[in-house]
Amino acid sequence: MTGKVTVTLKVNGRTFSADCEPRKTLADFLRQDLGFTGVHLGCEHGVCGACTISVDGSTARSCCMLAVQAEGTEVTTVEGLASDGNLHPLQEAFWKHHGLQCGFCTPGMLAAASELLEDNPDPTADEIREGISGNLCRCTGYQFIVDSVQDAAQHLRSTT
Amino acid sequence: MERRDFSFVALARPGAGRDKKTWEDTVVEQNAHEGLIGARVRRKEDLRLLTGRTQFVDDVQLSGMLEAAVLRSPVPHARIVSIDVSEALEHPGVYAVMTGAEVKEAVSSPQPVIWRMIPDQLIPDGYPLAVDKVRYVGQGVAAVAAKDRATAEDALELIDVEYEELPAVASLEDALAEDAPKLYEDWPSNVSGSTTIPKGDVAAAFADADVVVTESFRFARQTGAPLETRGVVATWDPYTSHLDIWLSTQSPNLARDLLGEVLGISVDKIRVRTPDVGGGFGNKFDFYGEEIVAAILSRSTGRSVKLIEDRMESFVANAHSREQKIDVELAATSDGAITGLRATVYAVLGGQLGTVGIGPCWTTAALMTGPYDIPNAELSVVGVMTNRSPYGSYRGWGQPKSNFVHERMVELLSRRIGMDAQEIRRKNFVPPDAFPYASPVFFYDSGRYADCLDLCEKSVEQAGWLERRDKARADGTAVGIGYSFHVEITAFGPSRILNMAGLQHAGFDEEVVRIDSTGHVTVYTGQSAMGQGVQTALAQVAAQSLGVALDDVTVVVGDTDTCPYTGYGTGASRAAAVGGGAVLTAATRLKEKVLRIAGQILEASPEDLVVQDGRVSVTGAPDKSISMAEIGDASYRRMNGLLPETESPTLEEREVFDPANVAFSYGCTAVLTEVDTETGEVRLLDYLIAHDCGTVINPLIVDGQLHGGAAQAIGGALYEELVYGDDGQIQTTTFMDYLIPTATEIPPFRLEHMATVADHIPGGFKGMGEGGTIGGGAAIAHSVEDALSDYGVSITSLPITPPRLLAAMRAGKDNG
Ligand code: FES
Ligand code: FES
Repeated sequence: MTGKVTVTLKVNGRTFSADCEPRKTLADFLRQDLGFTGVHLGCEHGVCGACTISVDGSTARSCCMLAVQAEGTEVTTVEGLASDGNLHPLQEAFWKHHGLQCGFCTPGMLAAASELLEDNPDPTADEIREGISGNLCRCTGYQFIVDSVQDAAQHLRSTT
Repeated sequence: MERRDFSFVALARPGAGRDKKTWEDTVVEQNAHEGLIGARVRRKEDLRLLTGRTQFVDDVQLSGMLEAAVLRSPVPHARIVSIDVSEALEHPGVYAVMTGAEVKEAVSSPQPVIWRMIPDQLIPDGYPLAVDKVRYVGQGVAAVAAKDRATAEDALELIDVEYEELPAVASLEDALAEDAPKLYEDWPSNVSGSTTIPKGDVAAAFADADVVVTESFRFARQTGAPLETRGVVATWDPYTSHLDIWLSTQSPNLARDLLGEVLGISVDKIRVRTPDVGGGFGNKFDFYGEEIVAAILSRSTGRSVKLIEDRMESFVANAHSREQKIDVELAATSDGAITGLRATVYAVLGGQLGTVGIGPCWTTAALMTGPYDIPNAELSVVGVMTNRSPYGSYRGWGQPKSNFVHERMVELLSRRIGMDAQEIRRKNFVPPDAFPYASPVFFYDSGRYADCLDLCEKSVEQAGWLERRDKARADGTAVGIGYSFHVEITAFGPSRILNMAGLQHAGFDEEVVRIDSTGHVTVYTGQSAMGQGVQTALAQVAAQSLGVALDDVTVVVGDTDTCPYTGYGTGASRAAAVGGGAVLTAATRLKEKVLRIAGQILEASPEDLVVQDGRVSVTGAPDKSISMAEIGDASYRRMNGLLPETESPTLEEREVFDPANVAFSYGCTAVLTEVDTETGEVRLLDYLIAHDCGTVINPLIVDGQLHGGAAQAIGGALYEELVYGDDGQIQTTTFMDYLIPTATEIPPFRLEHMATVADHIPGGFKGMGEGGTIGGGAAIAHSVEDALSDYGVSITSLPITPPRLLAAMRAGKDNG
């Protein structure tokens, strides 16, 4: 494998530029070259959702994207979810309702849930289950994730 | 492309959703009159996990570190004629290539098999990479260390292995067939060993029985599939021989001992550190060849070596579990008393024995009588080698199968004699006054089984399931309710008893509790954290025992250089019970020292002192008090005139706890299920577990464990199966083929709790990490049978996939 390409993109509000092999996935680029290890890899074949991040405002599976495809985009990873030391309401809710155990699925779960609440600020439990059904969690049995998302939704509604 | 105006950052605008009162209470729910033990407390682990500030094993970066990859056998059974690594070695960026023969040269002993329940069992020598022969698809054959993983994988393609293929022993039937090809030529057959657990006079019981019920059950291969795959980062210094290893393991002390055994070095030279672990479920209890391969590659290259398995590899290189065939006979009287149980468990082992050998399958036999007082039993296990991946640990460890068998047999007996299954359960339960109760192998410590069954039935009624079922049936929908009752062995276990059972390791636990010079508390534990919340649980026990705030307690895990030794590891639902018990005793002793010191300073008798929120005060004279921080300072730094002459400096206690017995938790599961009679698809509508695990430390964690365990039971009952073809090839190596349930397949959960304490464990704790997994399969099967009562369906195998269920429906109809 020869020839490296330079990829420039914005992650969590800061611009990064780094060289990488054209075959490198966005997930590996974020993890290895930029140090965003909150991006987790559970399958590397697009099923588990652990690597889910936000690219230009939409969720994407970073294991199924090449770093070069992210040229010029704005990316948000779990490291950018809280701001100024304040947790995002979803993070607070996951904490309160025990919406995570090992935490490996959590970054992707939070990304999926954020997008869900953006689309549907008042989802039913079934809609939440549907909305996170692209993200596997092997630990929690999902119940407390559903409770977390519902509570966060309520919070977000009451404060907007 | 349509772009939506959305980002995390937008949602996290300042002030959004910030409600200090709701969010910032550490304690979600706590009975004011009780302490932290039993309080529904948010977990201490979570802040880091929620904000992406974690370090899983693949996040460990060391300077100069290489990355390794393993070449795996594409064939199930073959002689290795030759391996040519010359091209791979020349590939730019490659530092080392190792074959199985070279690894064998470099180790002192084969891969350890720590569970040896069958004294004369044939246990083949297995090595980290295959030597001479491969015996399953995916078995490691060679390994490469290179500048990065991609380069290592490129180099794998340059290794040339010549295989002379042998006929594959693809299944249990193949293995037991007359003239079956043998995996080990010098063995008489493919049977590794067998043993029988006897109790009473089973022949007489069957001779005198009014009714004998016979059935044969089949369980598919499944695996724990933690979302984080396994991995290791090894640094083995070629000069000092010091091995420093990061390992995603549930059993760091065991791993350290086994690394020493295999590599031939003393344990003082080995440090095992566990980073954050992304789920274990038993898969990460076992000790794998990759650990050894990484260490040897590190020594030979003089660099740190990282070896992370990818998901596809995990489906062949991780412990496989569950696969068994069980033939059962049950003897009973016509009024429903079970008088005898006879069973043979065929353990469908792989091409090599894993760390726990035949252990889980032996446990299936050992606990086959479940919650029932069955006076006569003959429980056999036969271990059979096949060309499949090695058998190993997965949450439940044999018990889901025992449970399925005894619960299915109760239902079959119920059909046969026309007596309600719940009445049969009640009639045969070990009664509360019979504890401690001697089951065929283990002593059950305590239980109120009938109360738990009542609790479950009452909740089912209150939840309106009966009406829901009636209404659905009136509408022509097939809806059913199913129950199961389970026992769960926990608090593993008395060391000497475990040794007697065949374990080449201990079962005690050691905990250290220290108050520092600022009056804060650190608990050092040998238990491992893999998502189950052990840090929070142990912190709660320490905080309550010492009288300090939860926030003032830190729990340190995951480093054999700083943490104490725990026997076994963090499996077998033992951390809360033996760890909690040991922390409680150590902290209680430490508190006595605190009170002696405070008594001297406050000029009061220790009996007259109380500790609350980190302050020691004199009962009745609250203004006479001293903070834990002042006591800490007096114990470490400025002690003159404060620390009594009779006390040594520092505040630390160490407790070794080897429980006198294991402790049995138990529960009753109920499931409300709808079956699509056209497609055979099963949908779970509601799910309820009534449960008893003794004193609960944190209900939030207990609930989460039950939910997660139940989700794995559901996966195992309906979806998950590692499929092998007749050719011995595995066909399920992605999450597209191996179906882990998503949120849409998992129903909401309801839980009911009761607490019967374990008298022999300080604090009365029992473990409970596996209960949800054990009882689910049978309850789901029963709910399906109930939904299809018109069809006379009998479920005898898991998972209940749509094609299998349609076949069972046809068979039921044919049988009349
Ligand atoms: S790692 Fe990307 S979907 Fe699983
Ligand atoms: S919390 Fe472990 S995978 Fe979801």
